[in-house]
Amino acid sequence: MGAGWARKGWWAIADIVILGYALVPVLWIVSLSFKPLSSVNDGRFIPAEFTWSNYRQIFQIASFVSALRNSIGIALIATGLSVVIGTLAAYAIARLSFPGKKLLVGVTLLIAMFPPISLVTPLFDIERTIGLVDTWPGLILPYITFSLPLAIYTLSAFFREIPWELEKAAQMDGATPFQAFHSVILPLAAPGVFTTAILVFIFCWNDFLFAVSLTTTDASQTTTVAIAQFSGASEFTEPTGSISAAAVVLTIPIISFVLLFQRRIVTGLTTGAIKG
Amino acid sequence: MVAAIVLNQVTKRFHNEEPPAVQKVDLEIADGEFVVLVGPSGCGKSTTLNMIAGLEDITSGELRIDGERVNEWAPKDRNLAMVFQSYALYPHMTVRENIAFPLKLARVRRSIIETQVVDTARKLDLADLLDRKPATLSGGQRQRVAMARAIVRKPRAFLMDEPLSNLDAKLRVQMQILVSQVQKDQGVTTVYVTHDQTEAMRLGDRVVVLRGGVVQQIGAPQLLYEHPANVFVAGFIGSPAMNLLPARLEHAALRCVVGELPLSDQMRRTLEAAGAPRDVILGVRPEHFEDAALVKPGIKQQGVTFTARAMMVESLGPDKYAHLALDGEQASTAELERLAAETGTADVPGATHLVTRLSGASAATQGEKVHVWFDPDHVQVFDPADGRNLTPAPGAPHVTQVHRPGTGTPG
Repeated sequence: MGAGWARKGWWAIADIVILGYALVPVLWIVSLSFKPLSSVNDGRFIPAEFTWSNYRQIFQIASFVSALRNSIGIALIATGLSVVIGTLAAYAIARLSFPGKKLLVGVTLLIAMFPPISLVTPLFDIERTIGLVDTWPGLILPYITFSLPLAIYTLSAFFREIPWELEKAAQMDGATPFQAFHSVILPLAAPGVFTTAILVFIFCWNDFLFAVSLTTTDASQTTTVAIAQFSGASEFTEPTGSISAAAVVLTIPIISFVLLFQRRIVTGLTTGAIKG
Repeated sequence: MVAAIVLNQVTKRFHNEEPPAVQKVDLEIADGEFVVLVGPSGCGKSTTLNMIAGLEDITSGELRIDGERVNEWAPKDRNLAMVFQSYALYPHMTVRENIAFPLKLARVRRSIIETQVVDTARKLDLADLLDRKPATLSGGQRQRVAMARAIVRKPRAFLMDEPLSNLDAKLRVQMQILVSQVQKDQGVTTVYVTHDQTEAMRLGDRVVVLRGGVVQQIGAPQLLYEHPANVFVAGFIGSPAMNLLPARLEHAALRCVVGELPLSDQMRRTLEAAGAPRDVILGVRPEHFEDAALVKPGIKQQGVTFTARAMMVESLGPDKYAHLALDGEQASTAELERLAAETGTADVPGATHLVTRLSGASAATQGEKVHVWFDPDHVQVFDPADGRNLTPAPGAPHVTQVHRPGTGTPG
């Protein structure tokens, strides 16, 4: 018993250390966002004086509000398209054998490994030529490109887990290939689809590089860029409070997105399909 | 009457392999018939079933259902139901939804679906489990759900791919009875795949023995047992397997390690007509032996007696299985060796010992000599070169084809 308690104690300490390591910076930002301008540099973890003024301020900045709208719209559309295309592609890769399959997987991997920074300049040139700079599609397209490898890899791993016989059974039961996919395979792959959706959403939401390079105005600027362009009340004041408040606001959609989908990520959904 | 399912020279070749996985199978399945495909693993039985199902393409040959060529039809258009070895239940659906799935796809009205699902569930003793998920069911229950899903929509035929091999022995026997009852009850044509020859014999109206993608013999279980078309079928069907001994044809007798067997005129003519070589393989079923002391003198005259040491005696109540040690020449031909390699040596006695089934009243004891009689009328004689039976059944109406293993079809 004694040894068991000691071990549990050590685990508890390890958990606290790791949690602290991960959460203290976040809490620090939360703390900063509630401090008035005068006490931003006081170094206290718990604000001596508590204010909502930073939050009020950022929502008065028109560019931040439009950026928030752009971020949510672009990230949701990019995630949706990426997951749909990724699901179909991953299913084909996991299930079918077709000429050029290895090449396709290889190229996908190549895209994932390509440093985005080296593509930003050519992308900008391309988008300027065809008039996509500073539009939603101008960001959605590169987001899909760079999140697809992630989506395809995650999803094909999930598809491979699903016993193939289920699909054969569905076909024997009178299903067309699409019906078999839709009513048997997809429900079983749902945890994979939601996991992928979360990962892709976070990728799109957090992107700064493409957003700063391919947008110029409120029409398509996302929050990551808007925050970077915050200015203080005068040129001698730093916008620490507003940046912190914006950062906190920025995490809310992600947290709610994860919480919403996490409940759908139930493991062991396929148990009972075959044998025992 | 048009046969329900016809396989005409059906061949399956994966990636241009040689020989093909399934070679020129000819099979006519009558309406309502229960046909079992049996053979060791890798013999092509599941591939054949999958081709009938439409889950595998047919490389060449023709598959007809009710007289219509269906090679190019999708599985869903063939109106066949299949039970898989793994059951393949949909884990995210309840038992009710699983059984209803084929009806839902067929766009049957909801009220009719409900009554049919409940009816079928009652038939298979699943009525109390309708709202459970497959994960919470036992193996036997899952198996019954898979059956229910197959029979609920009254398909043209049932296809079953080793449906009982994941069950324990006792449950398997119960399920065999259930499968047989359901099949007879519904009168639905059934093609059943198994590697278990006992199961094949128990269930099949006719049994198709496959080996290396080639049909060895097609016939009623009793015919396969009494008149195996070749050494492979002889060794595969029956448990314990048929004893195979080397023998030599000499004038009017067959000389082998257990003595000299007089040949009847008819037998001699048959062998001559079949072009029997001098050296042959003799096949004798264990039950054609008897303890010489228990055989009536009149009958004893007609048979052959010999004495051998009992290496092992298994007493099973009414019967005693005596494993007799053999001296002298052992049956070893290329054909027998290949057979032993394919089926596992232990299954094919004859190489080292003889298995005999004696009456329970026999005094045979382990390690002692035993005086054994056997009836030469029931022996089968095989050609050691290609394994074919040189003493086929009189008339042999059901032996539709005999293929030499490894050499494709006979010319």
